[in-house]
Amino acid sequence: MLLEITELTKHYGGLVAVERFNMSVGEGEIVGLIGPNGAGKSTVFNLVTGVLKPTKGKVIFDEKDVTGQKPHVIAELGIGRAFQLNPLFAGFTVFQNVFASFHLRPKSSLLDAFFNTATYRRNEAYISEQSMEILQLLGLDGVKDELAKNLPHGHQKLLGIARALAVKPRLLLLDEPLAGMNSGEIDFTMEAIRKTHRAGVTIVLVEHNMQIMDLCSRVVVVNFGQKIAEGSPSEVRDNEEVVRAYFGGGGCCLV
Amino acid sequence: MVEKRLSKRNRKKLIQPGIYAGVIIVLSLFPLWIKSPYWTHIFILTFIYIIATVSLRTITISGQFPLAHAAFMGIGGYVAAIPSKWFGWSPWLTIPLGAITAMGIGILIGYPFARLRAMYYAMVSLFFGIGVLQVFFVFQRWTNAYHGLTGIPPLLSVTSKVPYYYFFLGLTVVCLSILYRFEFCRIGMTLKAIEQSHLVASSVGINEPRYRVLVLAVGCFFVGLSGGAYAHYVRALSYTSFDLLATLWLFMYVLIGGIGSFAGPIVGTALLVIVPEFLRGMKEFVPYISAAILLIVVFVMPEGLVGLPQLVESWMKKHREKRAVHHAS
Repeated sequence: MLLEITELTKHYGGLVAVERFNMSVGEGEIVGLIGPNGAGKSTVFNLVTGVLKPTKGKVIFDEKDVTGQKPHVIAELGIGRAFQLNPLFAGFTVFQNVFASFHLRPKSSLLDAFFNTATYRRNEAYISEQSMEILQLLGLDGVKDELAKNLPHGHQKLLGIARALAVKPRLLLLDEPLAGMNSGEIDFTMEAIRKTHRAGVTIVLVEHNMQIMDLCSRVVVVNFGQKIAEGSPSEVRDNEEVVRAYFGGGGCCLV
Repeated sequence: MVEKRLSKRNRKKLIQPGIYAGVIIVLSLFPLWIKSPYWTHIFILTFIYIIATVSLRTITISGQFPLAHAAFMGIGGYVAAIPSKWFGWSPWLTIPLGAITAMGIGILIGYPFARLRAMYYAMVSLFFGIGVLQVFFVFQRWTNAYHGLTGIPPLLSVTSKVPYYYFFLGLTVVCLSILYRFEFCRIGMTLKAIEQSHLVASSVGINEPRYRVLVLAVGCFFVGLSGGAYAHYVRALSYTSFDLLATLWLFMYVLIGGIGSFAGPIVGTALLVIVPEFLRGMKEFVPYISAAILLIVVFVMPEGLVGLPQLVESWMKKHREKRAVHHAS
């Protein structure tokens, strides 16, 4: 297993955000993490990537215990992440956003960077080539000199994925990659995710948009911080508890 | 379109080093036609303050706004002055010592400071600066607190100010070159990334505290250096010249010149140190005038004084367009 989450719990005082959450992701999978608003999906991501410290439980990545590690350490281990509300390096151009995100692989030492050594120049040339490749993959090469803050929302979302790819991740966590996109952008993004997956990246994604379930080999459903179902997309769609979580229970007329 | 943009960028690439080289040449010829020791003195002070403000701006590119920057200048100054005056150490040894001490203290406080942001950072650094002043006061046996430390050994054994002028010009060019390279290589880019979003920065593997400590150390080193050099040039130190107000003046220089560009603090410092000398009769109004300039700059020229050429260019362009519309109708 590439990622194994056991009994992950996060309490804010008396408030339970995530309760005894278990999940495992194998190498090469695309796993969907779905659930109603406030179910704790983003919290799980924040716990895995070290933005939040779990109250209890364990996160094991590639057979290493990474529970409660700092975000930059998690990134170094090979977990890339795109955010839901999508913060950007707003004053950088699209290209600079990706370029600056190549912090780890290759890594230049401070002295190399300061003295402009041959290693540093080689690294920078390689990074700029790689950045262009990523931008092409995500169809952002046409706007590479635009300031990130001036991009339309859909492009900004894609830029978030591009930046996460600069970490050269083995596991990519995408928090609502399709939120706020129009149907053309959705098709494009799904294709980009498929391509990324084909390049050998394992993906976990949080999404409300049911279209994306077609990409997933497996879906995990969360509600009130707990896992309520797991299985293939079609299994989950027919699961009674899932239907109740989404549409309300007790003979509701909606279903 | 692409070609045009490229040529514009190339032109900019040539203009900037051209301006810097021109300024350095003019400044190095300056003592040949201005013989007044007074003006030479003013220029030397300007050089010292330019090192201080540029190092301050270097720290701010990481999103840190230390309200203790002048206190670090004081640390550099006193650590350079005290061994030299009381124990007879050579200024050439004590000035680097002062700079390294300032850097060391910068690193020590850098780690707790790296957890703080915005208002909290400002408050804690402010109180740190006040604390440093208290330390100077406590050791008044060596610092002479209120009375001021006088009779510090001079850096150069000359009576003329011209050798000092060239020494400080050279020091400023070296320091600024280092800080320039620091900002415009990957390190600076990483710092700017942290400033824009620390959340994203850490998600791509940037060790935020480490970089914030690094930039604080570099900034403190150079401001300590300027403080030490100041002590051995002016040969007198008063601890009030490193208080909160002094830090605020440094910020004022940076903001008026333009915090967004490397040349900003250079322009701002030169303007605000040199221009008041022409208004010597109304020295007590200088703070008001400076404040008025700051307000005007903030509202009219958000890029600072260095943004002026661009601003004029865009005004002219707008004007021309307006006229074109007039002609058409």
